[in-house]
Amino acid sequence: MKNYDAIVVGAGVVGCAVARELTRYNLNVAVLEAGSDVAEGASKANSAIVHAGFDAKPGTNKAKFNVLGNRMFEDVCRELKVPFRRNGSLVLAFGAEDEATLRDLKARGETNGVPAEIITREELRRREPNVSEEATAALWAPTGGICCPYELTFRYAENAAANGAEFFFDARVTGIGRCEAEAGEGWRIACEDGREFAARAVVNCAGIHSDELNNLVSAAKYSIKARRGEYLMLDRDEDGTFSATMFQCPSKMGKGILVSPTVDGTVIVGPTAEDVDDKEDKATTYAGLEKVKAGAKRTYPNLPLGKVIAEFSGMRAHETTVGDFILGEAPDAPGFFNAVGVESPGLTSAPAIGVWMAEAVAKKLGVSKKNPSLVSKDVSWWPKTREMKPEELAALVEKDPSFGRVVCRCEEVTEGEIRAAIRARVGARTLDGIKRRTRSGMGRCQGGFCTPRLIEILGSELGLPPEAFLLSRKTAPKALSGATQNSQLSTLNSPDVLVVGAGPAGLAAACAAKDAGAKDVLVIERDDAPGGILQQCIHNGFGLHRFKEELTGPEYAQRYVDMAAERGVKTVCGTMVLDISPLADGRTNVTAMSPRGGLKIYNTKSVVLAMGCRERPRGALMTPGTRPAGVYTAGTVQRLVNMDGIMPGKRVVILGSGDIGLIMARRLTFSGAKVLACIEIMKKSSGLMRNVVQCLNDYDIPLLLSHTVTDVEGREHVTGVKVSKVDDDLKPIPGTEMHFDCDTLVLSCGLIPENELTKKAGVEMDPKTRGPKVDPNTMATSVPGIFAGGNVVRVYDLVDWVSRDSEIAGRSAAAYAQACGKSVKCKV
Amino acid sequence: MKMICINCPKGCEMDVAVDGENVTVTGHSCPRGEAYAKSEVTNPTRMVTGLVRVAGMRKPVPVKTKTAIPKSKIDATLFAMHQATVQLPVKIGDVIIPNVADTGVDIVATANM
Repeated sequence: MKNYDAIVVGAGVVGCAVARELTRYNLNVAVLEAGSDVAEGASKANSAIVHAGFDAKPGTNKAKFNVLGNRMFEDVCRELKVPFRRNGSLVLAFGAEDEATLRDLKARGETNGVPAEIITREELRRREPNVSEEATAALWAPTGGICCPYELTFRYAENAAANGAEFFFDARVTGIGRCEAEAGEGWRIACEDGREFAARAVVNCAGIHSDELNNLVSAAKYSIKARRGEYLMLDRDEDGTFSATMFQCPSKMGKGILVSPTVDGTVIVGPTAEDVDDKEDKATTYAGLEKVKAGAKRTYPNLPLGKVIAEFSGMRAHETTVGDFILGEAPDAPGFFNAVGVESPGLTSAPAIGVWMAEAVAKKLGVSKKNPSLVSKDVSWWPKTREMKPEELAALVEKDPSFGRVVCRCEEVTEGEIRAAIRARVGARTLDGIKRRTRSGMGRCQGGFCTPRLIEILGSELGLPPEAFLLSRKTAPKALSGATQNSQLSTLNSPDVLVVGAGPAGLAAACAAKDAGAKDVLVIERDDAPGGILQQCIHNGFGLHRFKEELTGPEYAQRYVDMAAERGVKTVCGTMVLDISPLADGRTNVTAMSPRGGLKIYNTKSVVLAMGCRERPRGALMTPGTRPAGVYTAGTVQRLVNMDGIMPGKRVVILGSGDIGLIMARRLTFSGAKVLACIEIMKKSSGLMRNVVQCLNDYDIPLLLSHTVTDVEGREHVTGVKVSKVDDDLKPIPGTEMHFDCDTLVLSCGLIPENELTKKAGVEMDPKTRGPKVDPNTMATSVPGIFAGGNVVRVYDLVDWVSRDSEIAGRSAAAYAQACGKSVKCKV
Repeated sequence: MKMICINCPKGCEMDVAVDGENVTVTGHSCPRGEAYAKSEVTNPTRMVTGLVRVAGMRKPVPVKTKTAIPKSKIDATLFAMHQATVQLPVKIGDVIIPNVADTGVDIVATANM
């Protein structure tokens, strides 16, 4: 049994703040967490708001710690290097009744010591042009802010660990009692798995379960009702829609549905407030998401549902007997300290609760002196390459090539960051842990591309087979550090035509450019081999038009790889293009990064964009239910099965009847899985009829048209899905539910052109195709010298046409390159 | 009998009438459609693509039947693919399993590894 001065139960933001502050007193501290990582409860799923503090009832702990905590945020976030922005809060009034509420809130704010003023409708519209015209006035609280709640938790934990705190995961406390007299004062704690701990003081930061822990030791009983909140997250495209956090007038159930920017550049919308019986029931619901949409539309009438990338829910720890934060030593349990019922504004209050609680515990233990040197000791973090200056990044890649390999393309997260996140003191041990620490998998494709790579890295770091991370999570962390120097960035004065992407589009463009007389043609590919997505499309049906014979995907790709090689096209793989900047002289600078080559800038005459497309993730479909492992896009499953030799499941339901989904229905059947059904919301399949015939009908897989998945079940892993019939408006019809017992849900609901780079280059986009606007005769974009071909422009049915149109782009790029330099302005 | 052609993305909907030995096809737009319809009612065949284990590697090699095989032989073909293991290197077109499931058709590699 291990002995500590103090044990903190619960590694949420409050627990980690308390632990970190306790280590400042040179105390021997342990943190016990029931989950497999820090920030697994409310700290990972909340509004991420640093509340100003005008609405808490004066005199309550909520009011006191909200205001204290709010004032601490700049310092804490600077010390721990956590992003924080004081963007201010606005509470909207929709009519006279609300306006009266605003005046009450303003008065309450004055009592709490929170500055706030009421602004007119005109002033509101001037500041926030996207706000609803129905809003008649607003309360402006300049001290409101936004922050990343799990990042704050991670860094509190890292700093606590750096200062000596020990973290124990999967340590669910099931028993607690006073030590026997001979063992001295203090508490003994037993965990579900048999581990035992002892400490002179215990701090109960068990969040939603903090009532249960308290009730084991104290006669003063508390009762926490889980109050669920559902959210939607919008794509970064929406960054800047609102500058302040947009609240509506609060009600008894909470602060209402808000629309707010986040420090990550996304927009968060929610939450609902619904009391639920099961504290762990973090599923989203159809009704809940509808409520979020309706509520948000009051504030933001043009809420773009097409920009939704994720939906999730979180649980507030609402204490029903006191209704306030219950903080401090339990009256009848000396040395047992409570932080019970810490719901909103819990995140805001956490820094203040941490300091206050640590002081109380230290006093109890007879310690008063802090060790000042401990505080700022390093936070053992990893560099965020996407935020680094090019020279810094170049130096880092030179030192550690793994920082040159981009794994998550949506959020530009490198392998080095991911490995460092796993090796941190309180390191990631799960896909979710990596996601929240690095944002890998948090962007618009929601892990569609990076999941297979992430499980490989997790496996290699933690010594486990990759598929283990598709099921569950168990293991232990290590340590690491890293620093950067400056180095020079080289600008390379070549090539004539630079092609981004070595899939069928890019290679076809490169070949055509060569044939049209371009001297130096370079193709840059982020994957380790050329061929693009065709490498994993091992089925036949390609090339009937282009090669007059039926080929499989890898065969078709190889034809182009060989053709490119014959023509002397240079291809560099494992290299990610980070930026494309058109120059005044008609040339273009392309910044690219690779593990071995580091960071390079190519000064090229012309560019062909051929980045292809990506799948719509679950978030974009707004499928309600839990968020367990076992939900994949069809392309991810295709990669896992065909390239990595991993079978993700045995009983599969496919949502959507896109071609990849149909192809995967057959592939999974071939590989031994039972495909129970293919569910399509529309009245007909979105895939080709030939694929319905040869992939579903041949193997008796039912295709349920006008149906959709209305619930996903399972906590750790998918255990089943609910499917309902939909009406003509695509709304589920009550009473038509049927249930499938399955362990995997595969999504095949369409493709979206991948155009982050296109947008960076300033190319005009076509909202309909979601690709760049192009002249079909030349495939020229709106920016001189930049051309585009293939699925990056629009999603094609057939690779043969991808090659054909990309060849046009290649020829045009070659012509542009030849004209470039001869006259002042380059034109095709 | 209604039938959808699987030869190309067009997916022509064809009418197939069987009268003893005589098979009449209408609704097709090319000779391949007609041939497909006739074979569907006499001896339906399919191309089968799949994966074969590579010795010492997690990544499998993609393979296909060199030509279409009878539908009734798909299971046996998949079983043979599942049983096989190949040594690298492998080139496109290399025969991985000769005369799979007595169809007279070879399983060949579809990627260079």
